Amino acid sequence: MKQLAWVLLALILTACAGEEKAGEKKLNIYIWTNYLPDDVLADFERRTGIDATVDTYDSNEIVLEKLQSGMADYDIVVPSDYMLRILVAEKLLLPLDRARLKGFGNLDPRFLGQEFDPGNQHSIPYLWGTTGLSYDKAKAGAPLDSWNAVFDERFKGRILMLDDPREAFGVALKLMGRSINETDPAVLRQAAERLKAQKRLVRTYNSSDFANLLAAGDVDVSHGWNGELAEVVAKDPRRFAYVVPKEGSTLWIDSLALPAKARNVDEAYAFLDFVLEPEVAARIVNGVHYAGANRAALDRVAPEIRNDPAIYPPKEVLDRCELIKDLGETTQLIDELWTEIKAQ
Amino acid sequence: MRRLLAAHAALVYLFLYLPIAVLVVFSFNAGRQTAVWEGFTLDWYRRLAEDDRLLGSVRNSLLVAGTTTLIATVLGTLAALALTRQAFRGRRSTEITLFLPIILPEVILGAALLTFFGAVGLRLSIWTVVIAHVMFCVSYVAFVVRARLSGLDPSLLEAARDLGAGPFEAFRRVTLPLILPGVAASALLVFTLSIDDYVVTSFVAGVGATTLPLHIYSMLKVGVTPEVNAVSTLLLAGTMVLITLAHRLLGVSDRRENP
Repeated sequence: MKQLAWVLLALILTACAGEEKAGEKKLNIYIWTNYLPDDVLADFERRTGIDATVDTYDSNEIVLEKLQSGMADYDIVVPSDYMLRILVAEKLLLPLDRARLKGFGNLDPRFLGQEFDPGNQHSIPYLWGTTGLSYDKAKAGAPLDSWNAVFDERFKGRILMLDDPREAFGVALKLMGRSINETDPAVLRQAAERLKAQKRLVRTYNSSDFANLLAAGDVDVSHGWNGELAEVVAKDPRRFAYVVPKEGSTLWIDSLALPAKARNVDEAYAFLDFVLEPEVAARIVNGVHYAGANRAALDRVAPEIRNDPAIYPPKEVLDRCELIKDLGETTQLIDELWTEIKAQ
Repeated sequence: MRRLLAAHAALVYLFLYLPIAVLVVFSFNAGRQTAVWEGFTLDWYRRLAEDDRLLGSVRNSLLVAGTTTLIATVLGTLAALALTRQAFRGRRSTEITLFLPIILPEVILGAALLTFFGAVGLRLSIWTVVIAHVMFCVSYVAFVVRARLSGLDPSLLEAARDLGAGPFEAFRRVTLPLILPGVAASALLVFTLSIDDYVVTSFVAGVGATTLPLHIYSMLKVGVTPEVNAVSTLLLAGTMVLITLAHRLLGVSDRRENP
C-alpha cells in the first residue's frame, strides 16, 4: 500500500511536469476581473497567433505573493500604484525597453512619471479611477459637491463610509485642507476626532457592498470607489449622482508591468504594444467602464463614457486628487486611531 | 412541548436555508444589483452559458475537487488503516502531524506551501492546487475513517482470517464494506472543502488555474452580478443530486450491515 501512495505521488508530479508544450507562442496574463474585454483579447490572439491565458486576482497582495515565490509563470501583471512601488523595490519587475513600445507616446503625460515608478522604467499606466460620493438626488435636495455631506446632520443614519482607514482619513484630511498622505501625528489625531464625531451619523462602514446598499435605498449618501458607483448612477441617472468632492480625493492608477521572471517576453511586448494602440485602448475603456490612461484613444471612447464625470472627472477636480502613498511607520498610528474610532 | 420543538426546528431550518433561498431567488432577478428585486428573468443563466471565463473557472473547480477527492480519499483511508491497525514506532507523532493541517490557519498553510513549491522548483499550475488540497484534505478523511474503524469489532476481521481469507481478501470483503459509509462521507466532505477553498488556493494557483472561488472574489472589485447566483444555484442543484445519490447508496449499505 505504501507503493500505491508513491505511485500516486509520482503520477501527480509527472502530470505537473507534462504541462508545458514547446513551440507554441503563449502569453499568461494576471489581471483584475473585468479589466480586459473578451473580444479585445480574441482580437489580440487572432492578430498575433499568440495563445493567451487570463487569470484573475482580487488583491494586490496576491500578486506580490505570487511574484515573490518565483514559481508563477505570469508574463503580464496589473498592480495598483502602491503595490507597483513595492514590486519595483523588490526587483520583481523587468525594466521596460522603451524602444519596443511604439505606442508609448499615446499615453496621457498626467499619468506618467508618478512617484511609484519615476520615469516609467517598469510600467505603463493602464486604467485609473477615483474615490468619491454617490447620493440619492431627491433626498439630498441640492447637488452635493463637498465632503461636508458625510458630516451633515441631515443624513444622520443614512451615510455609508468605506471600511478602509486610509480612505476614511483621506476624507477628514481633505476637509481640513491637508494631504491624504499627511504624516503629522497631531493632524492625524485631529482627523480621528472628526471621524469619531461622525460615527453616530454613519449607518455602516462597508467596502464591498456599498453600491448595492445605495441602490437598495438603505443609505442616501455613500462614500465609495467610482467603478461600482458609476454603474449605479448609469442605471438610474435621474435618481443617483456621483461626484468627486471639490476638496479633492483619492486617485488610483493600475499599470501594466512584466514580472522579472516572465518567460514570454516577446509576446508580452506584443501585448503592451497592442493595448497602446488608440483603437484598442478605446475599446477597452468602452468595455470595462473605467477611465483609460491613453490620451490618443480619448476621442474614440464612447461620448457617454468620456463625458461621464463619474468616470472622467473634470481636470480641476483631478488636480486636487492624490495617490495613496506608503506612509511607513505612520501606517501603524492610522491603524490604531482607526481601531479606536471603530471600537468607540 | 412537541409543538414548541417543531417551531424551534422550523426556525433553525429557516436560519440555515433562508440565505440559500435568497441566493436562488435572486439568480432570477431582472436587475443587476443583488439587493433589489426587479422582476423575473432567465438572463443570468443565458449570460452564464456565454461567459467562458466563469465556466472555465467552474471547470477548473470541478477538475480540482474531483481529483482531490479521489487522491485524498484513497490516501486518507490508507492512513487511517495504518493508524488503527499497525503498531509502529512514532505512531503517536504521526497521528498528531496528520491532524495538524486541520488546526493550522489556512493562511499559514497557503504561505508555507507556496514557499515549499518555490524550494522544490515546482511551477505553479492547476496541479499545485490539487497537491495543496490533497494535503489538507487527507487529514479530514483519516479523521472520519478512523472514527469508523475504531467502532469496528476486531473479531470480525479475525474471524475472516480464521476462515482462510488472506489480508487483502479480508480487507476487500470485510473491512472495506464496513467502513464504506465513512469513506463515502469523507469523500463528500473533501469534495465540498476543495470546491469552495479560497485561501490556500489563492496562494498556490498558477497559470490557467483560476477556480470558481478565486473568480468570484476577483469580481468583488467590479461588483458581483447575479451570474454568480446562477452558477451557485446550478452547483447547489448538482450537489443536492450527488448527496441524494450518496445517501441512497449509504442507506442501502447500512441496511445490509444491520439486518
